[in-house]
Amino acid sequence: MLLQDLSSIEDPKLIEWDWISDNFWEDIVPAIQGHIFLSFVSVAIALAISLPTGVLVYRYRKAYTPVTFVTGLLYSIPSLALFGILISIPGITIGPTPVIIALVAYSLLILIRNTVAGLDAVPAETIDAARGMGLTDSQILLRVELPLALPVIVAGIRIATVTIIGIATIGAYIAGGGLGKMIFDGINRSFPTMIITGAVLATLLAIIADLALLALERYLRPWARRRA
Amino acid sequence: MIEFRQVSKTYPGSGSQVVKDLSFEVPEGEICVLVGPSGCGKTTSMRMVNRLIEITEGEILIDGEPNTAMSGTQLRRKIGYAIQQIGLFPHRTIADNIGTVPNLLGWDKGRIKSRVDELLDTVSLSPDEYRDRYPAELSGGQQQRVGVARALAADPPIMLMDEPFGAVDPITREGLQDEFLRIQQDIKKTIVFVTHDIDEAIKMGNKIAILKQGGVLAQYDTPETILAYPNSEFVASFVGTDRILKRLSLVRVGDMRLEPANGEAEDLPRIDGNLSVRDALSEIIGSGSTKGVVERDGEKGLLTIDAIEKLSRARDDLRD
Repeated sequence: MLLQDLSSIEDPKLIEWDWISDNFWEDIVPAIQGHIFLSFVSVAIALAISLPTGVLVYRYRKAYTPVTFVTGLLYSIPSLALFGILISIPGITIGPTPVIIALVAYSLLILIRNTVAGLDAVPAETIDAARGMGLTDSQILLRVELPLALPVIVAGIRIATVTIIGIATIGAYIAGGGLGKMIFDGINRSFPTMIITGAVLATLLAIIADLALLALERYLRPWARRRA
Repeated sequence: MIEFRQVSKTYPGSGSQVVKDLSFEVPEGEICVLVGPSGCGKTTSMRMVNRLIEITEGEILIDGEPNTAMSGTQLRRKIGYAIQQIGLFPHRTIADNIGTVPNLLGWDKGRIKSRVDELLDTVSLSPDEYRDRYPAELSGGQQQRVGVARALAADPPIMLMDEPFGAVDPITREGLQDEFLRIQQDIKKTIVFVTHDIDEAIKMGNKIAILKQGGVLAQYDTPETILAYPNSEFVASFVGTDRILKRLSLVRVGDMRLEPANGEAEDLPRIDGNLSVRDALSEIIGSGSTKGVVERDGEKGLLTIDAIEKLSRARDDLRD
């Protein structure tokens, strides 16, 4: 369908640079900002939920299966369907809110699973030594377990962020804003410049976020960096 | 002083008893080695001292006070803890690792830093070279030294050591053992030391507690007495059929009463006074003789196989 639309476009020029320079400050920059806002807020909220949940699940193993089942279920709902379901709930109107809720729902599985995996990878003898020296449970968590798990947690944030930046484009369908809006507008107007600009920028955003978080992951592991 | 009073440990659920009615004392400033086959409850017994494992019945007194008189974490900060797997914090530098307990106790930075450097010197690691490194940058032997230094950091009167030299090759282990015994001469800690290796127990212990399956104390005595007079078949087989030779390895030739050498010394083997009697015996037999010449304080003495045989049956504590 999309391909048909594109092929029916009369103007053979894929990119009109004039349009980009004319609308740069008015349309493009706000779309980028909107997209960063959607993604950043979603990751932040998801992290605020996932970190404590991950720690809890790590401590009470019985909760692991139900928690991954529920978050896995959320993860498997097609994004368009999830947006549709959310706006049909009374009290939720179209706009950024349902988009953020959906993006948070999508990141939970990855973030919780990586938090637990990171904590699981902390060597048992390191924890035993810490306890044997008189660290309390919360000191062990904050000074030993979480710092050692952090690189794995950040690796999870990387995957979640890249996923979210991609899915957020679809959020424009329910007026979430961001680069997705530019893509949808381009499709509606049969104007490939807008589609390509939106797509390229969304991809760039994902790549930049990925590299920045990779750098953070390395930075958080000075002991391993030095060894190599 | 650490005193075990009828200590038992039963795990709830399984109902299996891993330590049974254990009673013994570790005198101030001595190393008590808990040794026995796997499953004898030696590590469990040690971990009940600092309450990493709670006692089911009985009590453990530290300087007369039950170890339940304060919280577990408070107690553990006062007791040094070193384990085979070392458990250094991989994300902290060597200095941070050693400073863990002083930091918990709220020492100021300057005091922690000078203590860290002092301890690195004690375990023969150059402070300038090692304090800012990460554990992964050190060899296994160096990591075990850091593990011991970390256990000593807040100068606790009591230390628990669970196979603290177990993760290195035999040669490095011997070096670490010798070094620790040298350090212990100065610091005189009261130590509970766990090993499965009877030779390490004999070498390190002032006293040895041999435990058997089910956490029952089989014998508690000095290494010399255990080697000469094992009180049961179990102990005799655990210390090994070469126990007489092991006992001889505890005595230095220089500490023995020697017979005067009356000129017959010329063709006999020369024996270094610093050798153990076991090694001296090996040299004498190896040279095809029945005696050897020991030079001590400028005088010559004769060491005979007869004298060695008598020594092997002597009841007294040989080392003092």
